[in-house]
This record gives sequence, structure tokens and C-alpha cells, in this order.
Amino acid sequence: MKKLLIMMLLILIALIGCQRGGDRAGGPPKIAFVMKTANNPFFIEMQKGAEQAAQRLGVNLIVQAADREVDVEKQMQIVENLIQAKVAALCVTPSGSREIVPAIDKANRAGIPVVIVDTRVDEKALSESHGKIAAFIGSDNYEGGKVAGEFLAKRLGGKGKVAVLEGIPGHETGDSRLRGFREAIKATPEIQIVASQTANWERDQGFNVFQNILQSHPDVQAVFACSDLMALGAVEAIAAAKKTGQIVVVGFDALAEARKAVEQGTMEATVAQSPATMGELAVENAYRLLKGEQIKPEITVPIKLITKENVTSQ
Amino acid sequence: MRPNGIALRQNFLLHHARQLGTLSGLLVLGLVLWVLTPHFLTLSNLLNVAEQATIIAIVAVGMTFVILTAGIDLSVGSVLAFAGVVMASALHAGAPLPFALLAGLVTGTVCGLVNGLLITLGRLPPFIATLGMMSVARGTALMYTGGRPISGFSENFRWLATGEVLRVPIPVIVMIGIYAIAFFVLTRTKLGRYTYAIGGNEEATHLSGVNVRFYKTVVYGLAGLFSGLAAILLTARLNSAQPIAGMMYELDAIAATVIGGTSLLGGEGNVLGTLIGALIMAVLRNGLNLLGVSSFLQQVVIGSVIIVAVLIDMALKRRGKYS
Repeated sequence: MKKLLIMMLLILIALIGCQRGGDRAGGPPKIAFVMKTANNPFFIEMQKGAEQAAQRLGVNLIVQAADREVDVEKQMQIVENLIQAKVAALCVTPSGSREIVPAIDKANRAGIPVVIVDTRVDEKALSESHGKIAAFIGSDNYEGGKVAGEFLAKRLGGKGKVAVLEGIPGHETGDSRLRGFREAIKATPEIQIVASQTANWERDQGFNVFQNILQSHPDVQAVFACSDLMALGAVEAIAAAKKTGQIVVVGFDALAEARKAVEQGTMEATVAQSPATMGELAVENAYRLLKGEQIKPEITVPIKLITKENVTSQ
Repeated sequence: MRPNGIALRQNFLLHHARQLGTLSGLLVLGLVLWVLTPHFLTLSNLLNVAEQATIIAIVAVGMTFVILTAGIDLSVGSVLAFAGVVMASALHAGAPLPFALLAGLVTGTVCGLVNGLLITLGRLPPFIATLGMMSVARGTALMYTGGRPISGFSENFRWLATGEVLRVPIPVIVMIGIYAIAFFVLTRTKLGRYTYAIGGNEEATHLSGVNVRFYKTVVYGLAGLFSGLAAILLTARLNSAQPIAGMMYELDAIAATVIGGTSLLGGEGNVLGTLIGALIMAVLRNGLNLLGVSSFLQQVVIGSVIIVAVLIDMALKRRGKYS
């Protein structure tokens, strides 16, 4: 016990030695970026973009994320804690479109402006609670899904059986992609969606779910996955079934690994979002807001369909 | 062997000594954070931390009862989600507030009682019974909602999370009330005494004429009830009931219980320790956020604290036994 106390005391003294850096008033503005997760390539790129912008503008950037992408309660706790840390502005990629609203309310009450990135906040929930956001920065997911659907329809010659791997139900980004995709497929009545199931944004589930779909629909000709991770899972399931090259795979996000797959031909296309640009724009706009400048309430980051013709794997 | 007057009193002192150890851990943590950041020791942040601790703390009350009987309940997070969506759909269907709240509590309790019956009548190991319930309750919640969250509730309902009395958030008041009741039940009632006795030596308890099956089933029912209560508060807090809510809460609740000094072997521990354990976890997360520590490092720190807390606890226990 005595040893323990001495050890704790030593740690304490060591900590006092390097205490309280960067908390002085008048230092660089403190901007917090709360992401859905920090362990998904999409968000890693977003973080890189945000950090680059922060360095360029001389912003003290704090990036935080819950362990799991869907943990809305942890995300709320992080936002609450950052409000307590008196950050000047908050950038958030909501883990839940509606569940983020109480956190936005709290930031509003503390007078901290909120920039929403990537995933939209539910308009109705926001207006019901009289919440305010400074700006939304993200890509048009509906349009992205539509572009993917149109590509698939053309690729299949307007006829065939298609499977879909959905994201987590109730996630605005996945839902919008799905709506856009279905809208495009509706225009070609001879294309049939034979299976549409969630793989919860995860690669291993993409593998398992698509393997099951292949069992029940061995004649499926194409798959659209609402994210590249699920698409890459499907690619492996196709390889395991020795059907590589026979099934058209279209993903979403244009992750580095997916670009490589497009180059190699195991995937046919992926919709490119620019997470790095999103992160950069988020920090930049939050910074401008703090300097008292006006910013646009809606900033759309362009999307692009990546196919073998225009792929560049960086 | 436990419900013997003198032994009980000695144990009582020992329990308190252990809780004092956990409490000093919390205080040291607080001291370190106070030194490191000016934002930690403010009234608004302390209330913020207390509010953040409530959900896990309330789930952990039920977990403490279960672990005291030398059992485990892995289903609490899933049961929380299921109770939450049942209550939310009752609210959306226009049910009066008390009825909807009752629906949530009953759903939780029923799931817990089923766990208890599977363990006592079905003779399943608690780990297996509640592992099954974890999946069944989660799946039922997902089916029931089609995977979508149910959100948007009246101000009256949301008051349960947003309301304050003398600046103290309602959930914190509920948490304190629950712990007071649980402390009373464990130390002053037959149910409490039998809970310790079952964990201490189930066979002996049975032989001394206690209806062990009945009391064990009640204990798992209580764990379900507390999950239902946590579901109400979580739904009010997020203004949304999610079928995927509460994932991994069972592990946080177990961690809070164990940090608080309750033995996984049963028969030893107390809810006050659990409350301190839940607060330690909340303070840690809060502090790491305030300091802007990377979220990966946070996981390492939290895991290490759990291990160190139990190491210290075990060292103290050994000393207590041999000195």
C-alpha cells in the first residue's frame, strides 16, 4: 500500500511538471472534430484533411471519436465533455441523424457553433427542438446512389438480377444512397432487385451476407453495396465461390483499397466522395465562423463515379 | 456461513475498507485531472460527469446483485434496447406516460425473469442463458422496429433527462435514489442477505431451507428491471429509442461492478463500490475527452485502470486474509 501511494505521488508530481499547456486565453482557437469513429479508412482520411487545414490555419484541433460508429450515447458524452472543455467551435459527423439533436441543443445553449459533416441531421427533429447548426458539409448521397444505379443498369444492358448490401437502417447516408439507387433501377423495369439486406457497414458482414445471398440467388449478376467495406467483403465472397469476374460489384466511398480493386477488375465501380476535402472544409469553415465571417449553410462536396477508365489508385 | 451475526459485522467493516480504497482511487483520479485541466473541477462539469454515469450505474446495480450470487448477466444491454423500443412505441401509439414507462419496466423485468427461470429451472449456466437472451432480446428489438430508431417524444417525457432540481439533473437524482434503495435491500432485507448467502455457498444456503431458485430468479428479474429503468432514461436523453442501443453496456456494467470491489466469485461486494466504479469510468472518459487524448489511447487507459483496480483490490484482500 505504501509503495502504491508513493508511486501515485510520483506520477502526480510528474504530471504537474508538464501541466496545463495550451489552455491560456488568447492562444490559437480550439476547434473540436467529433467523428463517428477513428478506425475506418473513410474517417481516417477525413481526419487527415481536418488536421492539414488546422495546421495551415494555426488552429488547435482536437479530434475525438467513440469506439464504435453507432454508439450515439458515447458520441453525445464526447460532445458534452468538449462543451465543458470550452472549445470555440464543434464539427460533428453524427452517429445518428436524430440522436445527435440533444447534443446540438446543448452546444447551442453553451453558445458553441456546430458544423455538421458527412451525415445530415434530421430536419424535423432539429426544428422541433429549435436547434441550430451553422453549416452542413457533405456529399449528395442520393445523387451518388443514383449514379451507381444508372451505371449498373447500363452495364447489365438494362436487364438482370441485382443484390444490394445496405448500411445500418436509419442511417441517413446509407438510406439516401439506397433511395437514389432504387430510383435509378426503377427506371429500368427489367432489372430486378432480388435481395436487399444490411451488412451493418462492415466488411466481414458484407462477406457473410453476400455469401448467403449467393446461396439463395446463385444467378445474381450484380451487387451494389452502400459502402466499399461491404463491397470488398462481397468481392471476397465472390472469390470464395469461384465466381470472380462473373458478378459486377459497385461500391461507395472510393477507398484506396476499392480503387485498387477497380483497377484489378474485381470491382467495376465505386462512387468517390472526398472525405479529406470534407474534413478540410469543416475546419476551414469553423475557423472563418470564429473570425466573424459569413459561411454558406450548405456546402456540397462533389461526387464522382470511379471506373476502370478514370481510376487512379493513390 | 455468511448470515452469522459476528461474521456479518466483520465482513461489513472489510467491505467498507475496500470501498474506501475504491473511493480514494476516484479522488486521486479527480486530483490528477484537477491539476491537468482547469475544466474538470467545475460544478457544471461534475454534474455533467454524474449524468453521464447514470445509465451504466443503474444497469450496474442489477449486475451487482447478479454477480453477488456468483452469476453473470450478459443480456442487460440488449434487454435495455428491447425495453426502450417497447416503451417508445407505446408512447408513439399515444399511451399515457405512466403506462408507457410501466411497459418498459415490465418488458425488462420479464426478460430478466426468463433468464432466472432458464438458470434455476432449466439449470443452464448463467453465462449461457444470458448469452442467449442477449441475442434474442436484440433480435426481437430489431424485428419489432424493422431496425429503425423510434424518436421524437413529448417534453413531459424528455423532462426525465433534461429536467433539473436545484441544478441537479433528474437522472442523477434517480440514480442516487436507486442506490439508496439497493443499499437498503442488500443490507437490511431477507432478499439481500440471501443474495450474499447464495453467492457465498449456494449448497449450504439451499440446505438451510432457503428457496434458492426463487431468490435467484428474483435477482435476475431485478437486473432486467434496472435495464428497463436505464432504457427509460437513455431514451429520454437521446430523444430516441434505438434497437441497437446499449451494445457492450454489459461489459461496462461488469467493469463498474468489479472496479467497485465485488468479487466475480460471488458473496462479496456492495453497491456503494459499484457506484464509485461507475463514477470512475465516467470521470476517466470525461477527463480523457477534456484533455483531448486520442480515442485509441483512451481504450488502453480504461482497460488498464480496470486491471489495476482489481489487482489492488486482490492485493488488499490477501493482506486482509493473512494479517
